[in-house]
Amino acid sequence: MNPMMMLVVILLPILGGALVPVLPFQKRVYRNLYVEALVLLNSILVFALLWNRPIEALDVVRFTGNWTISLRVDGMSMVFGSLIAFLWPLATLYSFEYMKHEQREKTFFMFYTMTYGVTLGIALAEDMLTMYFFYELLTLVTLPLVLHTLTREAVLAARKYLYYSLGGAAFAFIGLIFTMVYGNTLNFTLGGVMNAAKIGDRTNILLLVYVFAFFGFGVKAAICPFNSWLPQAGVAPTPVTALLHAVAVVKAGAFSIIRLTFYCFGTEFLRGTWAQGVVMIATIFTIVYGCSRAVKETHIKRRLAYSTISNLSYILFGVTIMTPLGLTGALTHMVFHAFMKIGAFFCAGAIMYKTGRHYVHELDGLGRKMPKVFVIFTVSALALMGVPGLAGFISKWNLAQAAVESKHVLSYIGIGALLISALLTATYMLNIVVRAFFPKAGFDYETIADAEDPNWLMLLPLTVFALVIIVFGLHSAPVTAFLQEVAAGIY
Amino acid sequence: MKETVWVIVPVLIPVIMGIFLLFMKPSKSRKTLLWITAAGLFVTAGLVGYVLSLGDAGYTLFYLTDTLPVFFRVDSVSRLFVSVVTFIWICSGLYAFEYMKHEENNKRYFGFYLLVYGILVGLDFSGNLVTFYMFYELMTLLSMPLVLHNRSHEAVMAGLKYLFYSFFGAYMVLFGIYFIYHYANTMSFTAGGVFDAAVLAENRSLLLAAAFLMLIGFGVKAGMFPLHAWLPTAHPVAPAPASAALSGIIVKGGVLGIVRVVFYIFGADFLKGTWVQTVWMTLALLTVFMGSMLAFLEKGFKKRLAYSTVSQISYILFGLSVLQPVAVTGALLHVVFHAIIKCTLFLCAGAVIYQTGKTKVEELSGIGKQMPVTIWCYTFVSLALIGIPPTSGFVSKWYLATGALQSGTGIFTWLGPVVLLLSALLTAGYLLPVTVKGFLPGNDFDYVSLQKREANGWMLMPILLLTICAVALGMFPNSLAEFFAAFVPQLM
Amino acid sequence: MAFVQNFPFFSIVLSMFAGTVSSVLPQKPAKYLNTAVICIVGTMSAVLLGFTLQTGESFTYMMGHFPAPWGNEIRAGVLEAAMALFFCIIMLLSLLGGRKKLLGEVEITKHNLYYILINLLLSSLLALIYTNDLFTAYVFVEINTISACGLIMIRENGRTIEAAVRYMIMSLLGSGLLLIGICMLYDLTGHLLMSNIREAVAQIVAEGTYSMPLLVTIALISVGLAIKSALFPFHSWLPDAYGYSTVSSAAILSSLVSKGYVFLLIKIFYRVIGFSIIRESKIIDVLFLFGLAGIIFGSLSAIKENDIRRMIAFSSVAQIGYIYMGIGLGTDVGMIASVFHIIAHAATKSLLFVAAIGLTDVSGGSRKFIDLTGAAYRNKVAGVAFTVGSLSMVGVPVFAGFISKFLFANAAVYNSGKMLPALVVLSISTILNAIYFMKTVIRIYTPAKTDYPCITWKQEKLYAVTMVLFMILNIILGMGSQPIVDLIQQGLSTFA
Repeated sequence: MNPMMMLVVILLPILGGALVPVLPFQKRVYRNLYVEALVLLNSILVFALLWNRPIEALDVVRFTGNWTISLRVDGMSMVFGSLIAFLWPLATLYSFEYMKHEQREKTFFMFYTMTYGVTLGIALAEDMLTMYFFYELLTLVTLPLVLHTLTREAVLAARKYLYYSLGGAAFAFIGLIFTMVYGNTLNFTLGGVMNAAKIGDRTNILLLVYVFAFFGFGVKAAICPFNSWLPQAGVAPTPVTALLHAVAVVKAGAFSIIRLTFYCFGTEFLRGTWAQGVVMIATIFTIVYGCSRAVKETHIKRRLAYSTISNLSYILFGVTIMTPLGLTGALTHMVFHAFMKIGAFFCAGAIMYKTGRHYVHELDGLGRKMPKVFVIFTVSALALMGVPGLAGFISKWNLAQAAVESKHVLSYIGIGALLISALLTATYMLNIVVRAFFPKAGFDYETIADAEDPNWLMLLPLTVFALVIIVFGLHSAPVTAFLQEVAAGIY
Repeated sequence: MKETVWVIVPVLIPVIMGIFLLFMKPSKSRKTLLWITAAGLFVTAGLVGYVLSLGDAGYTLFYLTDTLPVFFRVDSVSRLFVSVVTFIWICSGLYAFEYMKHEENNKRYFGFYLLVYGILVGLDFSGNLVTFYMFYELMTLLSMPLVLHNRSHEAVMAGLKYLFYSFFGAYMVLFGIYFIYHYANTMSFTAGGVFDAAVLAENRSLLLAAAFLMLIGFGVKAGMFPLHAWLPTAHPVAPAPASAALSGIIVKGGVLGIVRVVFYIFGADFLKGTWVQTVWMTLALLTVFMGSMLAFLEKGFKKRLAYSTVSQISYILFGLSVLQPVAVTGALLHVVFHAIIKCTLFLCAGAVIYQTGKTKVEELSGIGKQMPVTIWCYTFVSLALIGIPPTSGFVSKWYLATGALQSGTGIFTWLGPVVLLLSALLTAGYLLPVTVKGFLPGNDFDYVSLQKREANGWMLMPILLLTICAVALGMFPNSLAEFFAAFVPQLM
Repeated sequence: MAFVQNFPFFSIVLSMFAGTVSSVLPQKPAKYLNTAVICIVGTMSAVLLGFTLQTGESFTYMMGHFPAPWGNEIRAGVLEAAMALFFCIIMLLSLLGGRKKLLGEVEITKHNLYYILINLLLSSLLALIYTNDLFTAYVFVEINTISACGLIMIRENGRTIEAAVRYMIMSLLGSGLLLIGICMLYDLTGHLLMSNIREAVAQIVAEGTYSMPLLVTIALISVGLAIKSALFPFHSWLPDAYGYSTVSSAAILSSLVSKGYVFLLIKIFYRVIGFSIIRESKIIDVLFLFGLAGIIFGSLSAIKENDIRRMIAFSSVAQIGYIYMGIGLGTDVGMIASVFHIIAHAATKSLLFVAAIGLTDVSGGSRKFIDLTGAAYRNKVAGVAFTVGSLSMVGVPVFAGFISKFLFANAAVYNSGKMLPALVVLSISTILNAIYFMKTVIRIYTPAKTDYPCITWKQEKLYAVTMVLFMILNIILGMGSQPIVDLIQQGLSTFA
């Protein structure tokens, strides 16, 4: 396919989204149709592009020197790009219904659609600079979404989000500079681009820079101690929290770290160094920390946000193992967690939308009134816990296998952390399920008489996610095989 | 091995019927519900029988990932466990037809009851570790609604406690599975173990640690010290037939797990004489004694029985832990006998509660006069559990003690039998007072207002049937013993 | 000699002449004259730039054809021409942006005075850029100081007078030090023309004599110019001076005046002393340290600030710190970064000042953040412009600030001793910048219920056009930086 297509799929949502507030839509429905058509069309284009991927790269803009904004499709792009392209139309569908009870829909859909393009930009970036460029843009374009409700809470959350993200990017920037100076090329190359001759005796400085950059990108992936923006950003409307703060934005952080570790610094250079130890300890700690906070949290969305923090570090843990198998595990969890968490978030959103309840202790008995939503929630909860037969088990399996194979003592501890986290996940997720389905004896169903399942706009995406979780859980071989090939650099 | 899809049919049928029940309209009459349940139970039992008749059958359903098959296989251990499960499940299910009348939401109860049955059959038929783990998790999840059935605060809390302990155990198991997968040749259960000797020798300490974690993990379900605390909380709050099933069968899931891991994955030789075996034996004996002691001190009827389970399951675990054929035979015999006995005991306790509403042991004086059949049955199975000849418990304990004496495990050769004996005395101490007080309430008992309150046939029939089994199996243990003699030596 | 080579001289004289004439002109003609002069000077610089690019080397222009040591020399190369052109553009845009506001800020009768000062300022800046004579440089430094002082003071309220006095004192202190430095240099070498001094200094260093006096001289000159360009810790005059003067003055002062001194310093480093000698003296390490401290301190002060103008002013302290950090790295790459930052910062800071005034105007003239809530909705152009400026300051790609951040970081890597402190400070400062600038951006985009009037772009066309031009300039610097960087590189190579 023509390489220009890569630019098209990025620009189409950005420009199309920017048009949303400008175009004179007579009715809400027309606008919704426009947005959905735009997003769907773009997704189709993305899939077409990824399946017939152009081999050559596309230089878009030339910055300074040899620095270019350039795009290219490789294996990683295919994984992240198709994930995004699959989720976006569904999430958009969901938000049509959800956003009814929020204001300023036009602004919302404008930025929501634009984010799509920017995220694809991260996926398709050919080199570190391009990725950094889209990474910064992502922060900016999602800011209005966090800010959406414009309450004081939202403003504080947005500020925090911004400071954390930009600050993180500033440290990631150091990594970028070093890659440029000490690497052979800026273009992502599996195995790393570092030039041993140029490095000489500066190994330790380079490792330090790696740690900086890891944590810098890690801010978006909510690694401890830079995680506190994520739960706070939960004030945004649910489609944002679900798609962006469980998938697009945070996974962009994880994706960048993968790029940094495997495609820039290179695992050869990093494996077995103190830097690997440092980042691995951080991920292990975050895995447990996120879950523990989730158990303590009573606000549904914030609880899920803490859960995301923990699960993102699963991905990062896979990355820090720094073996192809580890990367496979990380990628599997990146894909599967997306479905599980977005499913859980959308259920939470449906509950909030239908009943206006935000806290776990208010959910008693809702399982009978909203059976579909809660069944799907249960599915995603079980998947997150890692019950075999559902997607989460597979990704944890791959991660753990990578950890066992690496024979690194820390990674054994990491397996322990994964399992402790699974237990805590059971605690905070099943608590909700049990409440909803088995309210205390003598519970008065009259108090929730008006609760009901939402309409198809919300249920369709939810059903799709639940099916995906089950299908991948039962038969993941094609996906994992593909991810393995990606991790081995075949694409 | 014969590939046949029939192996999974008895797993699927009850699961499908259970789901059907759960989603059935609540307006359907209770009768329909019972008919469907009964049909589910018996059809499945028939199918199980058919599958067992097929001999060495197996089936690979699908692959979770390209190297993880979901694989079923019927071997001797499967046969043993699935027979026990089927028998107990039918008895306890029929009993529930009457008993559940005084509980709400029968539909949910029977729905989950059937579901768990299917899962248990799947658990027993599992041919590799991952499949086993999958059913093990599902068993935990789906049996939880049985625990918290009456939805009192206590019950819900107990249900959650059950859940979290079980998951904790399951994840320890999973930790081990990760390592096994990497180092073993296959995950399929193979008598004698699946490791190359060289691999075992090279990664000895790592794999020992993995084995230990798996033992502790499965031990949670089997109520082994130190993670036994959920059991006395969860079992008594469930409705009596559910308690019977939980105490009789679900805990055996942990035992089955240990059998599979020790004899079919690591191999008994690997663990023999290691610190893992020592710790395991110590924990088992400790639990035996502690469980009996706590039962002895407990006032609540059902809770006392639950503590008794803690103690008795560790008899089994001790038998396994000495890694000696006779003791293992004893342990497997005790699996069968304990299932029958404990089920009967809980059903009797349920009958008492159902008829009189009394839940404390001290309230039960004169109960034998009111419900003579029930209490006679209770007495017989109590004697069996204590291990008085010629009842079944005697046989299994005999094997256990002989096995221990022959095992050559140092101090445990004699310490084991001593503790078992001590515990038997305590068993007598906590079970028999009910009988004694029940039949001999003393002079100040109010004989005037006494009336017969025997439970009706739906409840009595299963109790009688089970009691007969419990006694008869002790008198004619030969066929069982032959069955064990055929495969137990292969495990060593 | 090509006619074009007269242009530097013409530029200086023309703007001086315009200043003189303005004193007798009424308000309007003075205004137009001033605009015209800036445009003409800009055009001439552009032509000159084209010329020097063609020849590829710099030339000296002897005034009145008197040779040294009596004559006065001008020297122009690529960098000088580019700087002159750029300064003209910024000055023009700043004036256009603040023109309407000026009516309210300065008494109408004093407008011609204002334009005199602007013209003088321009001429002195041009002279600082072009001169090849240290004494001439000193003279124009003084002219520059005086006109800047006037620009601060002309908006007559208590704060500005105080600020002007403070500025005066600090500036004169700086000038004094500079003068002493120049005198010592004259003593050491016997010359005032830069190229002659250079030869003499090279000789002194080669002989190894007078090393201490030379060091002291360098220190005096550096410190003198550092004070004048508000390097931390000599910045105390700055927040008030920038914060309370008229908007155009603030924009011009922050983006041009202080930069003129920095440019002079760079020129002295390269052309008078020789950069290798500077590198060996430890003076650049001191500048480096002060630069880093300034970055952090300036940003922290800006965060604490509750007044948007003063916040932007404190931000300048930090940005000056960047420039000195680049100089302090002591490499040519560092110097390129610094020069680029002079340009990028000038473009951004003036944009911010002018945008801020648009925002405060629709908030009842208050500059407190609390009143600015929602200001971006009331004046959309200013809101967008302020956002662009902020993003550029934070260093987001596409905008000018990113390129300078990148150049600094890149330069830092080539100096292994100073690499880590520089990079870490750069990152921290990005975070701090993000904190105060983005806080403001979020603030102005948070809707509030107020009865302040709204201003659309149709009401203030000139302002809107200026803002758009500013933004375009910023994006050009951000996207098409390569030619500019090449140009700076070429300029610096012909500088010595």
